[in-house]
Amino acid sequence: MSAVMQTATVDTDVDLVEYYYDAGFSDGLPVVPPTQEKIDAVVQALGGDPGFVECKVAPRWGELTREVLAINMVMAGCRAAYAPVVRAAILALTDSAFNLNGVQATTHVASPLIVVNGPIAQELGMNGGANAFGSGNRANATIGRAVRLIMLNVGGAWPGDLDKSTLGHPGKYTYCVCENEAQSPFAPYHVEHGYKPEESTVFAIAAEAPHSVTNHVSNDPEGILDTVCSVMSTIGSNTAVLGGHMAVALGLEHAKTIAQHGWTRADIRNYIFMNHGNRFIDLAYGHRYGKVYNRNIPKWYKREDNTRIPIIHSPDNIHLFVMGGAAGRFSAVIPGWGHMSTPVHRPIDTNVTPLEPDCSSGTCAL
Amino acid sequence: MLMNTQNLQPRVYDPCGVVRSIAIPTAERVNTLDGLRLGVLDNSKWNANKLLRGAIEALGKEIGFSEVHYYVKHSFSKDAAPELIEKIIEENDIVLTAIGDCGSCTSGCLRDAIALEQQGVPTAVIVTTEFVKETVLTRQALGMTELEPVIISHPVSSITMEEVAQRVAQIFTQAQAVWKGEQAGAADTYLKGRKTPD
Repeated sequence: MSAVMQTATVDTDVDLVEYYYDAGFSDGLPVVPPTQEKIDAVVQALGGDPGFVECKVAPRWGELTREVLAINMVMAGCRAAYAPVVRAAILALTDSAFNLNGVQATTHVASPLIVVNGPIAQELGMNGGANAFGSGNRANATIGRAVRLIMLNVGGAWPGDLDKSTLGHPGKYTYCVCENEAQSPFAPYHVEHGYKPEESTVFAIAAEAPHSVTNHVSNDPEGILDTVCSVMSTIGSNTAVLGGHMAVALGLEHAKTIAQHGWTRADIRNYIFMNHGNRFIDLAYGHRYGKVYNRNIPKWYKREDNTRIPIIHSPDNIHLFVMGGAAGRFSAVIPGWGHMSTPVHRPIDTNVTPLEPDCSSGTCAL
Repeated sequence: MLMNTQNLQPRVYDPCGVVRSIAIPTAERVNTLDGLRLGVLDNSKWNANKLLRGAIEALGKEIGFSEVHYYVKHSFSKDAAPELIEKIIEENDIVLTAIGDCGSCTSGCLRDAIALEQQGVPTAVIVTTEFVKETVLTRQALGMTELEPVIISHPVSSITMEEVAQRVAQIFTQAQAVWKGEQAGAADTYLKGRKTPD
């Protein structure tokens, strides 16, 4: 397999880790210096043809050939077997609905969160269990890191230049997990959305960091979900005024309690939708800065002081996953960026199509 | 062990991928503004409407536009819909658009401006000082390096009406310069000396 990119050689005494730092190709952590053998193995896993352009990555609009994808994956520390997941994640991000251009450039903290469903997660040894969002798992860490390196190197979103995020968040190093399907009492997310259990998918949402939902008291769905609603109902998240989507990672103990009461995924999403939100007067800051109409909020809400304004405007915009370890009564709410980016859910095998188009018709009732 | 001397020198790889942007010229500039149809594209960001309404009023006192049309795009973080761009091109000779005062909205405004310039409509895109560097990088990535922005003081959201008026004064002179082709080098000059055009 021949490289189609321009490559160079350096003297044998050059420290390659330092070389890639000096070249400006790192996310801040040391990268694995690529070798032709490792690059070839990834390209092979992608189907060969190193010059094939998978997509262009905004805002620099660099061409992501399979070879470039492979170089970034090797630099991130990926195994070649992770290649289909990284490719699917990048294709999700570069779907026009996702508005990667905006996600990369925004002053908001958002970073794409990748959630993997289906058997490939276990095949690759991904972690959806204890400390799922934390450190310690190669597949989670390096798949997410490869996505970020591609966003930086190919997308050109270097902090301060094209990435104007005021604060960023730690998920801008890596932000990739899988659902804990093996221990979840519910059908997996991708099955809820029309895929077969044996199919694998990636879900991408431009998201804040996880916000903790602590509830050690409730032994019923209502109590647990009221705490989820409490965490969602802040006026400080982008979504409070810009709508859009949210992910909810239900911890195992919470999920099991809810399931024991016979609730379905749809019951959970609908309960959250019906019981969260802010009063209009709070979003308007009591009209302290002038009479507020707030045209970013949908037209159908009455602009009256006590009108409940949900954070997201449909139960289908709540993306529910079961994650985490066996112990601990914790869940997490993960606010999105706002209506400017629509999450993308796509199969890892491009020949697969879902049985149902999505949940937009309200048919997701598992 | 089989190794030749060349293999002893490690190869290094470029992870960035190529950018195939084609150089796109800006629209032909105009000599006079009197009698032209002005299109104003509001990206719906906080205070964009105050800036633009103020600019229309100030410009209208000096220039006899034949028509002024006001448009609002659906999301400040996205490009204007292609049908809106088409409508603006059809109904106007020059365009003023605001506001690039955040990362995604600057990018969106510039992409709208490039779409309009590409179709022959001189467009004054207003960005704040904090987003001039992004402006330069974006226009370079998209191939329209000659597109010059109107540069006003940051911030724009959460400012007083007096501060809005100061920014309107900056728009008043610079927008005319952009339409007439007299704003050349403004972004680069700003980045060198942190000085906004007069």
